[in-house]
Amino acid sequence: MTNVANDRHATTATGGPIQEYLDFPDGQVNLLRGGSGEPVLFLHAAGGAGHWHEFHELLARQFEVFAPDHPGFGGSDELPEVEDMSDLVYHYLDVIERLGLDRPHVVGASFGGWIAAELAVAAPHAIGSLVLLSAAGLRLPDHPVADLFLMTPEQLVGTLFHDPANAAGLFPADPDVDAILAAYRDQTALARFCWSPFMCNPKLERRLRRITAPTQVVWPSDDRLIPIAHGHRYAELISKAEFTVIEDCGHAMYFERPAEFASVTADFLARSSAYQSGVSR
Amino acid sequence: MKFVFFHLMPYPYLPDDFDEKYPSPSLTFPNKHFDRELGNRLYHRYLDELEYAERLGFDGIAVNEHHQSAYGLMPSPNIMAAALARRTEQAQIMVLGNAIGIRGNPLRVAEEIAMLDHLTDGRVISGFVRGIGWEYFAHSVNPTRSRDRFNEAHDLIIKAWTSDEMFQWISPNYEYRYVNLWPRPVQRPHPPIYIPGAGSTETMRFVAERKYTYMSVYAPSRVVRRWFDGYRQAAEELGYQPDPEKIALSIPIFLAETDEQAHREARQHVDWLFHKGLKQGAELMWPPGYMTPSSMRGLLMAGMKPFPELSYEELLAEGYVVVGSPDSVTARLQELHDELGFGQLIGLFAIGDMTHEQTTRSMELFASQVMPALRPLAVSDSAAALS
Repeated sequence: MTNVANDRHATTATGGPIQEYLDFPDGQVNLLRGGSGEPVLFLHAAGGAGHWHEFHELLARQFEVFAPDHPGFGGSDELPEVEDMSDLVYHYLDVIERLGLDRPHVVGASFGGWIAAELAVAAPHAIGSLVLLSAAGLRLPDHPVADLFLMTPEQLVGTLFHDPANAAGLFPADPDVDAILAAYRDQTALARFCWSPFMCNPKLERRLRRITAPTQVVWPSDDRLIPIAHGHRYAELISKAEFTVIEDCGHAMYFERPAEFASVTADFLARSSAYQSGVSR
Repeated sequence: MKFVFFHLMPYPYLPDDFDEKYPSPSLTFPNKHFDRELGNRLYHRYLDELEYAERLGFDGIAVNEHHQSAYGLMPSPNIMAAALARRTEQAQIMVLGNAIGIRGNPLRVAEEIAMLDHLTDGRVISGFVRGIGWEYFAHSVNPTRSRDRFNEAHDLIIKAWTSDEMFQWISPNYEYRYVNLWPRPVQRPHPPIYIPGAGSTETMRFVAERKYTYMSVYAPSRVVRRWFDGYRQAAEELGYQPDPEKIALSIPIFLAETDEQAHREARQHVDWLFHKGLKQGAELMWPPGYMTPSSMRGLLMAGMKPFPELSYEELLAEGYVVVGSPDSVTARLQELHDELGFGQLIGLFAIGDMTHEQTTRSMELFASQVMPALRPLAVSDSAAALS
């Protein structure tokens, strides 16, 4: 079980995030939003739901960042009708519509990166540009994703971070019952979508050619959870993709190197929005 | 009191560096450690013990299901039950149980149990379990669907056994367009059902509603007391009092001629069971979604130590195991009966790396001296009236 601490919402040049709920037929979605500028839909990883972290704040200096918790994660209800990845894609098309976003930039990390890629495949014209950070979603039998469900908390920290010291504070040594239950709930939500097929949609790879959005694929050099071969495959199969490697960084890059991650993302989004405004926006 | 001889069929020959090197005997413990010849002999030894239990007068002999583990060598309990079926004549053959939560095709379980009911001439008991957490890794079944799969599979199997008409079955996890079971079971309406419980109030209610037998799993007696009380309360809310036989205590038992000898011999084997056999971290026992939030909270609040941290003395004192001379074991079981209230005792006699000779001697002492003393306990009114 993972235990991500309840770090306070990062304090802020932008005045901090606004918290709100979006109503769905069988429950609510918890949403944090902040900043101003072009809209960025941020799709979180297995960890990190429910909180406004440093990287959100850094992105919010240039963009309006919308950070919903996936169904069953963080402050969002379970939404039982969202059973698998295809349901999640419809769910996020609803979220985009509900928020009134016009072709937002979509930034997704790890599990959220997989959702982002699926969204861009299903509705290429609903997406402005795409940033995939160590995205799950592909099945490369020669480069398997490590089984985070089978890891002890110590093993998980060692897998997610290039320097486990960077995890201090995020994974308390002696979590209380509520913290354990919150982490178990997030893992349960993840397992619902990711247990089998494990962390992937076997059909995604051949569908990636549908993506038309300018895409930045970002991978840490020392990703022990999702091997960098997955990043190369994404970059190879998405037609307008760039590939950036962050050196000396582990899978949990938005915790481990938030500034670098935010600047790579922000630079790319700024460039691609210039590109888009000159073409077909 | 009804007496059941239960076997786990452990693989006891672990390497010397097992404790340091392996997180568990389950799921990832390399199968190169399964010695084909030793393993082959174990199956025959263990089946001999089960058959011997019938000759000693046990009312039931029981097997169960585990996967990819040295803790228990019965991936298919129905095969073991079939091996016993025509070698025995009196004892109930108890499959405790089929792990219907992880079966891809639960209709197969309905078919196999129905066949076993014929092979045993109506002596089969059908337990249903969800499967332990690690088995959801082993058979690639999503643990977040565990409860739904269990409930749907259960309902399908019961309907398949009892329906006189072909039907279609459609539920979220299973679709069968033609269910038309050949053979139907011998027993009417179907073989008796046993379900283990570990504190879930949903399970207590489920079992009480259907008047199934509720079995305990390894736990201290103070905790088992809460489970049995919960089951009795669920029955009371439904307006009846459960037959004593419908509450079954499962517990490892070892006897030798004297207390001193019993403890001297038992310690190592009890330690094997709890410190090696049951060595498994939280990630193996409770994969995500396997537990409901309320059950998980209850478990965390109960403050039970992980099995490997329990000393032999704690295991005895808290009522996880019973060890001693025939007189001491009789007295201790009488005491547990008075504390917990149960009418069926499911004993695990082949504990860990115990030898065949130790196991059979312990069984003999139990059958000749403990059973007669405890037999009159907890007999239901209806059974008493019949006899």
